[in-house]
Amino acid sequence: MIATDQPSAADAPSEVADEVDEAALAQVMRVVPLGAAVLAGTAVALLVIGYLAIYLLIFLPRGAVG
Amino acid sequence: MTDQPAPTHERRILGTELLWTFGVGVLVAAILGIIVFTALTIDINPPSNVEHIDPKTLHLSGEFAEQNLGTTVGADGGVTVRVIATQFMFVPRCIAVPRGRLVTLRFATPDVVHGLLITGTNVNTMVVPGFVSQVYTTFTRTGDLLMPCHEYCGLGHSDMWANVQVLPDSEFKPDRDGRVSCAQR
Repeated sequence: MIATDQPSAADAPSEVADEVDEAALAQVMRVVPLGAAVLAGTAVALLVIGYLAIYLLIFLPRGAVG
Repeated sequence: MTDQPAPTHERRILGTELLWTFGVGVLVAAILGIIVFTALTIDINPPSNVEHIDPKTLHLSGEFAEQNLGTTVGADGGVTVRVIATQFMFVPRCIAVPRGRLVTLRFATPDVVHGLLITGTNVNTMVVPGFVSQVYTTFTRTGDLLMPCHEYCGLGHSDMWANVQVLPDSEFKPDRDGRVSCAQR
């Protein structure tokens, strides 16, 4: 039963999903993965550079251990 | 339900994810390769000695009896340091080691779990009751290095530390029994 006296989310235009234009979606999806890959790649590259710097400049000069 | 080809953008995302997986795989393989390479070429390994000792009697006889603690130079020239880690001190409080020679460090504890590191070196191990912790290393520069307990062992934990005195070969002189003590300063 639909309560006609209750407000609906669809009453507000901002709450209603936009019409999806498949062509526009395809255009966006061509760019989004590239941006995500650049962001994640930069973060991982910084992490690996930090690891290598500590390993080569601090750990190895401290001498062998076992 | 019929099989339909995935939309172009989904195939592109899958391609990106596979490329990312490949890249991360290469990085993980490279890091593991570096660890294996240094282990094989310059003998850097995690301390992995498994040797049992009775914590109730280790101070009464054997290598961790009081007269055997500290630095000893064997007949073959090998340098061995034996230290007891106990609440809340290392015995002895100061150990002398030579620079540029392989040193074997052996630790045991009669009470609780301790841990230690030697500043400026890669020496870092836990000392667990019932086991002998063994680490070997070569000290590369002379000077006094701090060796604190780094495993919380009780209320006096923060007072538990020792001094490692790295001596040049000219000052590292064993006595007739092959023992070396810290230089008096």
